[in-house]
Amino acid sequence: MIELRELTKKFGDFTAVDGLSLSIETGEFFGLLGPNGAGKTTTISMLSTVLLPTSGEIFIDGARLTRAASEQKRKLAVITQEYSMRQDMTMDEVMEYQGRLYYMPRKEIKRRSAELLEFAGLAEYHRRTVRHLSGGMKRKLMICRALLIEPEILLLDEPTAGMDALSRRQMWNLLKQVNDRDMTILLTTHYIEEAEALCDRVAMINQGKLQKLDTPQNLISELGRYTVDETGETGLRSTHFSSRDEAIRYLEKTGSDAALRNTTLEDVFIECAGRKIT
Amino acid sequence: MGIVTVLWKKWVEFRRDFYKITVAAMISPLMYLIIFGLGIRTTSHGEPYIHFLVPGLVAMVTMTGSFGAIAQNMSVQRLYEKALDQVMVSPTPLWQFILGQVIGGSLRGLYAACVILVLTIPVRHGLIFNGMSFLIMILNGMVFATLALVLSFLAKTYSDAPRFNTYIIMPMSFLCNTFFSTEEMPDGFRQIIEILPLSQASGMIRSVANGESPGIIGFIVLFVWLIVLGSISVLFIYRKKNL
Repeated sequence: MIELRELTKKFGDFTAVDGLSLSIETGEFFGLLGPNGAGKTTTISMLSTVLLPTSGEIFIDGARLTRAASEQKRKLAVITQEYSMRQDMTMDEVMEYQGRLYYMPRKEIKRRSAELLEFAGLAEYHRRTVRHLSGGMKRKLMICRALLIEPEILLLDEPTAGMDALSRRQMWNLLKQVNDRDMTILLTTHYIEEAEALCDRVAMINQGKLQKLDTPQNLISELGRYTVDETGETGLRSTHFSSRDEAIRYLEKTGSDAALRNTTLEDVFIECAGRKIT
Repeated sequence: MGIVTVLWKKWVEFRRDFYKITVAAMISPLMYLIIFGLGIRTTSHGEPYIHFLVPGLVAMVTMTGSFGAIAQNMSVQRLYEKALDQVMVSPTPLWQFILGQVIGGSLRGLYAACVILVLTIPVRHGLIFNGMSFLIMILNGMVFATLALVLSFLAKTYSDAPRFNTYIIMPMSFLCNTFFSTEEMPDGFRQIIEILPLSQASGMIRSVANGESPGIIGFIVLFVWLIVLGSISVLFIYRKKNL
């Protein structure tokens, strides 16, 4: 279980994360959503202890997470937004370094590395240096590296950024599989449909503050399950309704440029982020 | 265990860049040898100048080799590649990471010194390099590897690493008992230069090379530097808010 208590991070006068408190249950697939600069990556960086909070605390299974907390860190693996790997190391070396940092026996490192690289379709490139990999291959390698140590908690910061649609779907399937093995996953993403498809619960943050926290379905219901989109002079305008009849009645009153559809998590996101920005 | 992991990684880097590292270790000392030792033939304290120069160059390359191996590498890992994140989140105790870097950096300095010792075989007749000399080289390398760690944690941009080289390493190379004795410096300035680690390392290696005792003062000065810089680097990796 991950628990953030009043987590705050300031950079000079700028507050990136502002009193964020939330709990993520063991085995939960949890999404952290927010517009650019909302504080998602800063939160992940504090969970990976690269950044220390200005105030507030993080607890992993009831014990405080610090840079010296090896027992808690043993449970964590992070996939960062950037390709955080030595560019001049080969795939085999990247995997071995990771295994050694987590005290894995060499035989085990070799066996699991071979399995994971094969699974990710990277086996034939295992002697290639990171510098010579495509963006998608680097992403896959980062996932292999994180899964090598069989973490209890996986922190993912925009894991599918820059991936094509097919690779993204493959990644979703992979993440679902590991989550089914009771791995707790914290995901930050720009792709709202990704969070809707994968996450048990999502938290929406904006300007470092928690705006909403619930299951995707509850958040959608709260906004209204049906949406009517109208194209007017000021652009696209969406109106949300809790019942289909209500939405149809509204649709009948409007002109021909309107359409009825199911509300998505993206509507909740836009409502949440847009309201704050305007 | 964490120390072995860091040393393994350093070995991987060394093996891959063996030729580049070796050539880089040779170039500037070789230039100094040719210009000051062979080109401008002179004497120091009644001895050929090259006998004064070689121990100084050996001390200097342990400094540049160790500092260079860590400063550039760590700055790139921390600021550009973000590869330090992998270490920060791992259960490997961070003090072991620091110690591994210091030992690895020192060994790189020692390797650079060995390259110079091999290159100067034809011109350093009568100079003694023994276990004590190597101990001083290792200690000097550890001090400068630790200094490199501290500075790389302070670096704000990728281009800060070469600046540290210009502001700290280059002046020390010329002033700290490498090319001329600190005895000839004016009072006040001399005392400042003499407490710098390279001055002590050069002096001690030179004493051993001439068959004299290196004394205890130099060891004390190097140990004090090592403890102070080591403590700062450990403090940074555990306490620095934004790594």
